[in-house]
Amino acid sequence: MLPLGLLASGEQAEIMGIRERKESEPCECSKNKHRDEQCRIEGMGIRIGKRIEMLTNEGRGPLLLKVDESRIAVGRGMAMKILVRRNEI
Amino acid sequence: MSAESISEVMRDPVRPAAASLSEEKRTITVAVAGNPNSGKSTLINAIAGTRLHVGNWPGVTVEKKEALFEYEVKLIKLVDLPGTYSLSPYTQEEIITRDYLVHEMPDVIIDVMDATNLERNLYLTVQLLELDIPVIMALNMYDEAEKKGYTIDSNMMEEMLGVKIVPTIATRKAGLHDLLKAVVKLVDDPSSHHPKKLNYGEDIESAVSAVEKQLKDSYPSLAEKYPLRWLAFKFMEEDEHVQSELKISGDVLLIEDAVRHLKKAHEEDMESIMADARYAQAAGLTREVLKRPELRKTDLTEKIDRIALNRFLGIPLFLAAMWFMFKLTFDVSKPLGDWMNALTFGPFKRWAEALVGLIHAPAWMSSLVTDGVIAGVGSVLVFVPVIFAMMFFITFLEGSGYMARAAFVMDRAMHSIGLHGKSFIPMLLGFGCNVPAIYATRTLENQRDKALTALLIPLMSCGARLPVYVVFIGAFFPAYAGTVLWSLYVMGIALAIVMGLIFKRTLFKGEAPMFIMELPPYRLPSFKSLMIHTWEKGKHFLIKAGTYILAVSILVWFLLNLPWGVESKKDSYLGQVGQVVAPVLKPLGFGSWEAASSLMAGVIAKEIVVGTMGEIYVKKTGEEQSAVKPAFTADLIEIGTSFTTALRNSAENVFSTFGISSLSTKEDEKRSGLKSVLRTTFTPLSAYAFIVFVLLYMPCVVVAIAMRQEFGTWKWFGISFAYQMALAWLMAFVIYQGGTLLGIGG
Repeated sequence: MLPLGLLASGEQAEIMGIRERKESEPCECSKNKHRDEQCRIEGMGIRIGKRIEMLTNEGRGPLLLKVDESRIAVGRGMAMKILVRRNEI
Repeated sequence: MSAESISEVMRDPVRPAAASLSEEKRTITVAVAGNPNSGKSTLINAIAGTRLHVGNWPGVTVEKKEALFEYEVKLIKLVDLPGTYSLSPYTQEEIITRDYLVHEMPDVIIDVMDATNLERNLYLTVQLLELDIPVIMALNMYDEAEKKGYTIDSNMMEEMLGVKIVPTIATRKAGLHDLLKAVVKLVDDPSSHHPKKLNYGEDIESAVSAVEKQLKDSYPSLAEKYPLRWLAFKFMEEDEHVQSELKISGDVLLIEDAVRHLKKAHEEDMESIMADARYAQAAGLTREVLKRPELRKTDLTEKIDRIALNRFLGIPLFLAAMWFMFKLTFDVSKPLGDWMNALTFGPFKRWAEALVGLIHAPAWMSSLVTDGVIAGVGSVLVFVPVIFAMMFFITFLEGSGYMARAAFVMDRAMHSIGLHGKSFIPMLLGFGCNVPAIYATRTLENQRDKALTALLIPLMSCGARLPVYVVFIGAFFPAYAGTVLWSLYVMGIALAIVMGLIFKRTLFKGEAPMFIMELPPYRLPSFKSLMIHTWEKGKHFLIKAGTYILAVSILVWFLLNLPWGVESKKDSYLGQVGQVVAPVLKPLGFGSWEAASSLMAGVIAKEIVVGTMGEIYVKKTGEEQSAVKPAFTADLIEIGTSFTTALRNSAENVFSTFGISSLSTKEDEKRSGLKSVLRTTFTPLSAYAFIVFVLLYMPCVVVAIAMRQEFGTWKWFGISFAYQMALAWLMAFVIYQGGTLLGIGG
């Protein structure tokens, strides 16, 4: 298991979990901001059990995933909260 | 079914609703829902021929658009819903879609599916089906799915969902008749529709029936207004939106009792459990009906992305694209702009004078028409070609899919100012016009992002500022036109970064929000859709010129000519106020009352700066109009020949674009006297300080109104006004005084 943000370009992985936001982190706009975020990424197909491919990970800035047939750009902060298991090819 | 067999192509858009159809006939309301980038807007455009705004980045249709037309003697009202991935209440688009469907209860929902991306699209379908509104599925982009080697068993899918499925290729207008026929058939014969109730598993089903029953018993009237099963789900999910709307708390419905064991078994909140259950349906369906080849080819989009999103190449490429766009904009539009200019101040003015003379109007009236209306509106209309060319290129970038890449490339930079890449899109739109850019901030998820983005948008140099630059650049920097112009845009961006950093540390403390967005595949936008959307964007400018600017030109004319009988413009009202303000602008190099008055008029809309200057300055030298008045027919011939020359020049410029062409040509002198007058009152340095001031000073009134509308308070506009005035003054001061010290262009 490793955070999605550490997956190299071209690697494939399965999503294992999405980490909760830490209590200490501020949530300013709504009391269940974490849930909002999780729901939005799940709506775009990034959910537990999904197999994804890392298209672009430059080591900084956002990264680009291939989820089914769509290309989803994810911010690095978010990507570090998503845990994946790398598929050995 | 193969893509070729969807042979029937819709050649003409359906007929508009004829007036004769007024006999008692019920309108069929059809809501069109679907994921972003599923081709929804293209499909609606193809059916109704309406002018919807189709972009290529997610979330572009935020406004509700409708089309009314006649089909097989039925009156159909199409309602375009915003593109959404889900019906949860987390983004504006989702809330709009959901509220519309639940409250308006359309007769049919057309669910536009991206056939290349079944699972994610089905997730939305599953939620639509909960609403108890008949659904017809448009399996769109069928050809692309086939190209990828997919086979979709649409018969089985029809069977499993109990909805009619029509394969469509909206870009080629194929399958649309079948789709509309299916709609008509379903409305004519509701019994033909047998939607399957999707089973979410025994645990969930028994819980939802319990809640549904509780709802029915406690609030019998609800069933008329809401689909009860859906409502029950929402209460189980503790949907705050629904709870507050109905003012029913979950306690009354004994929700906790119903879902306790579910929560315990899954160790999750109900919303996640429901999302999983819905997703399981979508995934299961996809597994059943979709066959895809094992081998995955790298497609063109991936190849382009490898370069466009490259860590080293991405940003330079983006900047180059922007520079190229501005350059091309000017080269193409300059000859046409000159033509419009000659037209307005030549024949139009002469004709207006003749007309006014014909009705023996008093002298002041003739002055109002020629110096007020024609000079004012005319000087702005001259920029129609520039604005449209610019909108054309922006539309192209949007439609091709590059705009979303720009957001990706810029995400890191945006992070440093407390925003993410998605905020970059409204900002980019700001280059066209700040007003739609402010409205585009509603695609952002939270108030913090929205407010911060809106505050920075006015620093993006909008199309309205262009006329001012063009006049000054043409007068002072013809040899470096492209570069000077580019420097203004870059300065706006750089200052946005600085201000963003400041705001992040003061007004907007707290973490940057997360970034997630879909990058659509690259595609070549069709010429027709380019034209439609260029027109959509540009038309605001035309409307502004026709209304606002006309009104303001008249107002300015009065301010310039009142009190009655003023000898010099200097003593007019506007001139007087200008004189009061001028000393403040003195250290910036343009402390004349003329400049001050023009800037004040520009608060209404920045392009008015040019119009007002036209009125103030041109009057001075104005009387040198030649006495020779060509005949009407001669005018017409001249208009025609000069237009073809202009067209030829602009076409030539496209190909000679690598050399600096049009802006540097020396035929400036033909333009109205404005430029030559400006050369006597400004130095190149003060001219540059002046255009920088125009770039930065307070946004126009329309932007103010847009900000008020979006945020429901004047607060953000107030902040924007204050910081921009300060920034404009400061920058102009630094440029002018610094330049003078260094002895540049003095």
